[in-house]
Amino acid sequence: MSQKVIPVTAEHNPDTDVACREIDKQERSLLGKVIDRFADHCRARSLFILHYCTGCGAIELPPTITSRFDSERLGIQPMVTPRQADILLITGYLSTKTLKRVILTYEQMQGPKYVIGMGSCTINGGMYWNSYATVKRLQEYLPVDLYIAGCMPRPEAIQQGFLQLIKQIDRGEGNAWQDYYRRYDQYLGNQQALFGPDWHTPTDVIAEAKHYNMLGEHTEGEHTALLEKFASAYVTNAKTNTALQYQE
Amino acid sequence: MNASASLESLPESLQAAFQELPNLHITETSPRRLKINLQADALPAFLELLKGRAGYIHLSAISCVDWDESNEFELVYHLWSYQVKTLVSAHILIPKKPGRYVSVHDIHTPAAFFERDIHEMFGLYFEGAPDQEPFILTEWYGPPPMLKSFDTEAYANDTWNWQDYQPKWLQEIEANGGSLVTQKEK
Ligand code: SF4
Repeated sequence: MSQKVIPVTAEHNPDTDVACREIDKQERSLLGKVIDRFADHCRARSLFILHYCTGCGAIELPPTITSRFDSERLGIQPMVTPRQADILLITGYLSTKTLKRVILTYEQMQGPKYVIGMGSCTINGGMYWNSYATVKRLQEYLPVDLYIAGCMPRPEAIQQGFLQLIKQIDRGEGNAWQDYYRRYDQYLGNQQALFGPDWHTPTDVIAEAKHYNMLGEHTEGEHTALLEKFASAYVTNAKTNTALQYQE
Repeated sequence: MNASASLESLPESLQAAFQELPNLHITETSPRRLKINLQADALPAFLELLKGRAGYIHLSAISCVDWDESNEFELVYHLWSYQVKTLVSAHILIPKKPGRYVSVHDIHTPAAFFERDIHEMFGLYFEGAPDQEPFILTEWYGPPPMLKSFDTEAYANDTWNWQDYQPKWLQEIEANGGSLVTQKEK
């Protein structure tokens, strides 16, 4: 951490003789945009899905992925670990218990990441609408990019959903994952309402938000304040911001 | 159906076992499926008897029914024998108050699993069961959810928000003549 930081501009840098041209802000943001758009374009053509298959809709995935409908034509194929996956595909009903696991999985994935809610159950509880255990609206707990309606949706519909997601990403609109960082407090609040005030995950979402430069007005708040008691040398203390120090 | 009449068509080992216990009400619901109603306190002896005499070593499930009007729980023990090859379902009734029954895990070990589940879902307590701690439900503080008196819809209304069924984008589609909503019946 004590490593010397070399600023980009020469002006503030009397210690080195590297004289960099000062890049003006607008130029930099324009360059960034072009690179982002290019990255989005490439990204949209190679997506790995992690499927969360406790719902019955999972039965439609084998035909979607194998030779009949062959989603690899779209550059989409299954992946075995969350850390290497881009899409989290929730294939049906989530109970309070499985939702916990889904959140843990989602937080392990690296950004940019996308969530597809597949089947009516993820939208409004589907045929379990009045069940005491089935989660009704997935978007309250995770940022959902896309819902595929149907009980269960046929492979054609899933394929259509994939195409739509690809289009969204290509246009640079697949940004729901940033919302999780920007409004983490709200998502956490909904999770806490279901799992109790002691709910916390091993992922330090606030530090990640800082790292991605996505700290928003609602990243921290009354709900993240409850995480304080779980703060450690590795996990940010929401109140004092002490655990992880970044050099500005 | 008359108990003795149906007894004759049964395998011998079963006949012998059934004759030892009085007050069994036997119904043959379909070939090789017997429904047996008996007194609650006779059940452990009944299980022992079937296990010893007719090879009923497999307790495949215990199911529970909440009878709201009569204020009783009905417990159904599903038993299978690999020799007799006939399914025996033993039905007993337990009053809801005080809602206690004996565990049969000393006769069939898997019973402990089912009993713990029934205790959680119906609130029926099994005396002598090895474990009656919360089991499957997550973060559950309400009453046992499988009771008929538990209003699951009201619980869902309290706990969750409902999806917006008339979102703006749908209204726009409908304004342009399209619709995802099926036509109302006339
Ligand atoms: S939407 Fe239908 S198919 Fe999908 S998980 Fe729910 S009940 Fe099953």
